[in-house]
Amino acid sequence: MAELRFLMIGLTGVVGITLVPVPADAQTTPPASLRFAVSGSTETPDFQKHVVPLLGRLGCNGRSCHGSFQGRGELRMSLFGYDFRMDHQALTARAASADGGRINRQQPDDSLILQKPTLHVDHEGGQRFAVDSWPHHLLRRWIESGADGIAEPQVLSHLEVEPAEVVLDSRSPPVRLQVTAVWQDDQREDVTPLCRFRTNDDSVAIVDADGMITSVGPGDTHVVVFYDNGVAAVPVLRRLESAPGSVDDSPPVSAPPAATSPAAPDIDSLVLAKLHKLGIVPSGICTDAEFLRRLSIDLTGSLPVPSEVEAFLADSSDDKRQRKVDELLERPAFAAWWANKLCDFTGCNPRQQAELGQETSVQWYMWIYRRLRENVPYDELVRRIVLATGREDGQTYDEYAARVSAYFREGSGVDFADRETMPHYWTRRSMEKPEDAAQAFAHNFLGIRLQCAQCHKHPFAPWTQDDFQQFSRLFETVKFGVHPESVDRYRELAKQVGLTLRGNDGAAIRNDLLKRAERGQTIPWRELYLSHRSEPVSLSLLRSGTVTLTGDDDPRAPIMQWMSDSKNPYFARAFVNRVWAGYFHVGIIDPPDDLNPANPPGNPALLDWLATGFVQHGYDMKWLHRRIVTSDTWQRSWIPNETNRDDRHNFSRAIPRRLPAEIVYDGVKQALAASDSLDEVRTDLTRRAIGHLSMRLAGTHAMQVFGKPDRVVNCDCERDNQPTLLQSVFLQNDPLIDQRLEQSGWLQEIETQEKSAAAPAPKHLVRLAWLRTVSRPPTASESARAMQHLSTADSMTDGLRDLLWALINTKEFVLIK
Amino acid sequence: MSLSRRHMLRVGALGTSLSLSSFLRLNAAQGKSDSGRSAILVFLGGGPSHQDTFDLKPRAPAEYRGQFSPIRTSVPGIEICEHMPKLARRADKYATIRGITHSLADHGLGTRYLMTGNLPTPVVTYPMYGSIVSRELPAAEDLPSFVSIDRPVEGPGYLGAEYGPLSTGEKPRYGQPFRVRGITLDGSLTIDKYRSRRQLRDDIDTAFDGFESLDDSVRGLDRFSEQAYRIISSTKSRNAFDLSLEPDREVDRFGRHEFGQSAMLATRLIEAGVRFVTVLLEGWDTHQDNFNTLGRQLLPDFDQSFSAMLDRLEERGHLDSTSILVTGEFGRTPKVNGNAGRDHWARAMCALMAGGSVRPGQVVGRTDDRAEGPDGDGFSPDDLAATFLQNIGVDPKTEYEANIGRPITVIRDGSPIPGVIG
Repeated sequence: MAELRFLMIGLTGVVGITLVPVPADAQTTPPASLRFAVSGSTETPDFQKHVVPLLGRLGCNGRSCHGSFQGRGELRMSLFGYDFRMDHQALTARAASADGGRINRQQPDDSLILQKPTLHVDHEGGQRFAVDSWPHHLLRRWIESGADGIAEPQVLSHLEVEPAEVVLDSRSPPVRLQVTAVWQDDQREDVTPLCRFRTNDDSVAIVDADGMITSVGPGDTHVVVFYDNGVAAVPVLRRLESAPGSVDDSPPVSAPPAATSPAAPDIDSLVLAKLHKLGIVPSGICTDAEFLRRLSIDLTGSLPVPSEVEAFLADSSDDKRQRKVDELLERPAFAAWWANKLCDFTGCNPRQQAELGQETSVQWYMWIYRRLRENVPYDELVRRIVLATGREDGQTYDEYAARVSAYFREGSGVDFADRETMPHYWTRRSMEKPEDAAQAFAHNFLGIRLQCAQCHKHPFAPWTQDDFQQFSRLFETVKFGVHPESVDRYRELAKQVGLTLRGNDGAAIRNDLLKRAERGQTIPWRELYLSHRSEPVSLSLLRSGTVTLTGDDDPRAPIMQWMSDSKNPYFARAFVNRVWAGYFHVGIIDPPDDLNPANPPGNPALLDWLATGFVQHGYDMKWLHRRIVTSDTWQRSWIPNETNRDDRHNFSRAIPRRLPAEIVYDGVKQALAASDSLDEVRTDLTRRAIGHLSMRLAGTHAMQVFGKPDRVVNCDCERDNQPTLLQSVFLQNDPLIDQRLEQSGWLQEIETQEKSAAAPAPKHLVRLAWLRTVSRPPTASESARAMQHLSTADSMTDGLRDLLWALINTKEFVLIK
Repeated sequence: MSLSRRHMLRVGALGTSLSLSSFLRLNAAQGKSDSGRSAILVFLGGGPSHQDTFDLKPRAPAEYRGQFSPIRTSVPGIEICEHMPKLARRADKYATIRGITHSLADHGLGTRYLMTGNLPTPVVTYPMYGSIVSRELPAAEDLPSFVSIDRPVEGPGYLGAEYGPLSTGEKPRYGQPFRVRGITLDGSLTIDKYRSRRQLRDDIDTAFDGFESLDDSVRGLDRFSEQAYRIISSTKSRNAFDLSLEPDREVDRFGRHEFGQSAMLATRLIEAGVRFVTVLLEGWDTHQDNFNTLGRQLLPDFDQSFSAMLDRLEERGHLDSTSILVTGEFGRTPKVNGNAGRDHWARAMCALMAGGSVRPGQVVGRTDDRAEGPDGDGFSPDDLAATFLQNIGVDPKTEYEANIGRPITVIRDGSPIPGVIG
């Protein structure tokens, strides 16, 4: 059994801001800028604590300077620091140029690292500091005292930043941050002059190199502080002082109605608390028609049908929104649409499967769809992916091969979706290398981007290359291929079906062989298994504990144990934030898949509340969805008022979002369907792009144009919801749209009626056209304009075809407002 | 359209949103003067044999040198394959790069490598050159900036769908009507009908009246919808794709075969103002019967059409502003196999460049005596890509905030091959 020791760390890392009171006897060393203000200090600067941070602050190890992988001017340093051995060697090695050594311990003033930054010798990077400045004194003193490196890095405990929050107004003088580094041995030093500072939004506040924050405009952001491997983010906020003077094109907005929906006061109160601080008044609640369309799309990936819209608008009961939410949560389309999203999050991609890309990705989708139908708790669903193996419950290899073959046989009575676990996550070609698996895993389940740490210290997060390497090594025994103990049976099966093998790694199943399985034969499948570890190994689990593995230990078990601990700072947060981002135009942390201390949540209390509630409710996904869509926050109108026009991340109004690819595809089809098949078109998931066709349509023209993600890279942004030129070309003139309009069941039905002079009144048809596309009745003037068009058209059918084309091409059709 | 500074800054700070760049691009398209730079990429899919085309080894043993003889060209000292007499007479119009080398002798991976200039990896999709160009150099309002004749060779990768090519879906064929997916009106929708529908749409698209400039998505939809309308209804783009407007002598000059028609279309599109066009000439995967396939069909077709492309661009004053790259995904085995074919070989290949600031009439780089590998270090596909982009006027060291969680350099490892551009 793998041994695991936990050490839970906060989302801000080991080194976030702490609110622990400072012990009275704690002595804080004054800043280096004071200690080295005059020359002649006898203190020996420390390479890790002073020299490298100073060079970092001066920009020396940046990407465009000596931190570049090719270096600059023959000097290469580790990007963003933290490779002390490499940096020390680079600085103390002899420079190839004729200008002398980079370091000259005998004649410190002749050292290039003093001559170049002071421009005594040409320096492409320009002057970095002046002669006789404190940086000059510090570096000179380090050289003079022997230019020593360090044996082992010392461990930074955390950074303390004062003040912990900065609240400004237009008259505020600049506020200076003071940063204290607290080391694990309780040493404390004021490191303000050795830090790097960055603002996350310079339209709200700017920060200079000394940590001086100046207000620019109203709003909120963070100033991020970097020192050693510590990162701390300080909230900076400026309240909207009065309504802006010129509101050019907005109609007068009355005060928003008081919150009327009684449900989910927690999301709303937390959002309102933040808005109150910022002086922002939220928009009112959206109309019933907007609510129904929004809900139907966001929850079930579908447009409502006209009869549903009419019924909902006619319903005058107070709890109709609540009841609609309950109804939609039980529809199969809810599971179908969110299976798409979970396939996004987990990287289901036909082109990366080990074999039979189409078939295995469909199995993957259907497996997740089934779990969502059953409302399996999220932690359980993930457990059954993370701990998946090829064989189930003590199967022999032959039983396994027979079972997998049977999945492909019509009428075999076994279904991949019935499997306890879902192995395809691990068997993708993109998971072969442990480093790639580590990156994908961290992204998929923890919302962490580790890629940077593969080559250098992460610039924003605490992750170092060593963290990354140790985490990667956890995955090295997860294998896909032929289990060494089953090689003989595998080869025999292969021989029986004429599969040629090279070596013992097995071969991919191709379509010709699959046909044999479809006919009932057992064919040789490779499998997901764990290889034996000959030497015990202890590895750090992203600095949250040490995992000791030996023999046949499943390295994934301790990771899963760590993730599903209720105190895990990433697992639940990453998921609730992603789900939230599916309902709004941004996440609470945004980008939603980038949880790092330099990218803190805009509303930490809200994220905590959601994550805690989610865990307390047993990772019940329906709880989460219900909470969000029953909140006033999600139900706000998109129409702005004077105070919230510019708010993009505090959820004071809805921001219009483009329909996802699958929903555009299904929506056009549904809008044009015959009256008597409207319900079927919507509910028959086997023929829907959000349903069983999800993976079969992947990569087709329509899906590509509207940004269905390929799921090739570790980024949620792969699902592209931006409008593009090609989308407009598609909706206006693509052969598919043309064909759908020409073959519209609804228009054919009207044509038949028109010929028999039994057509319904044009006005009624116009109303239906609006309900079918933008899910609301037309206004009087819209209706009149449409009627005018119908009166000039060759036939009513023809005029209606034009009208449907026009409606599909409105912004309102392709946006969720 | 006014993009508030506040919003710009926010997008800039986050760095990952493409919306800002798309709007900047639109802004640029409206106001900025036209730099006129453009490019054509001719992709010889399947992997053309370098030693049977532009890197012959007449002194190598028979089983290496194959069946073709070299001929002299208009540039003393440069010789090419006997089946390309027209290009031999125009050797002063293009540069040949020999000794390009890599190790991905697989069609898929090799293509991705050569079409993006970055070693393929499973975790990032790099953009094709055309996508980079379409991001950096906006086209006219009523034209797409990046067109792939037939199908896209590689996609926009991390740059996102907005920078993908408009692909024609098929190759133009002589004597057959040619239609591009979505971009031209066909029989069932007349221009009058289209205009009337459009007017109706404008009149009923009122939900966001008064708030058109507030949100990205609304603003973007208005812009793109308008641009799509201009492209679809414009005679400019329709004419650019209409090969029936070419006189017979032009058709004959390019050739009535498939490649000829594609090359002619590419040239027309560049003349109209399209920024980047890809043209495919496939069939180079000659594991068998290499010499008949090349000698009887591929080389004569290529010789004729590529010569015509160079001539026409030069005659009409477009060669100086149009960068051309001709390449496959790899070369072919130095030794002829038992089926008179050659197999995949990535250690050596060659490419042609012309137009823009290319110094024509020269050979850069060399391979060893049997064309097995470069003589010396050779050049990588990354270097070739950097050279091509630089010739187009795009700095190969441009950095993007890609969707992979870290900034990424357009061409990570390559640098322009010395001497090609001057």
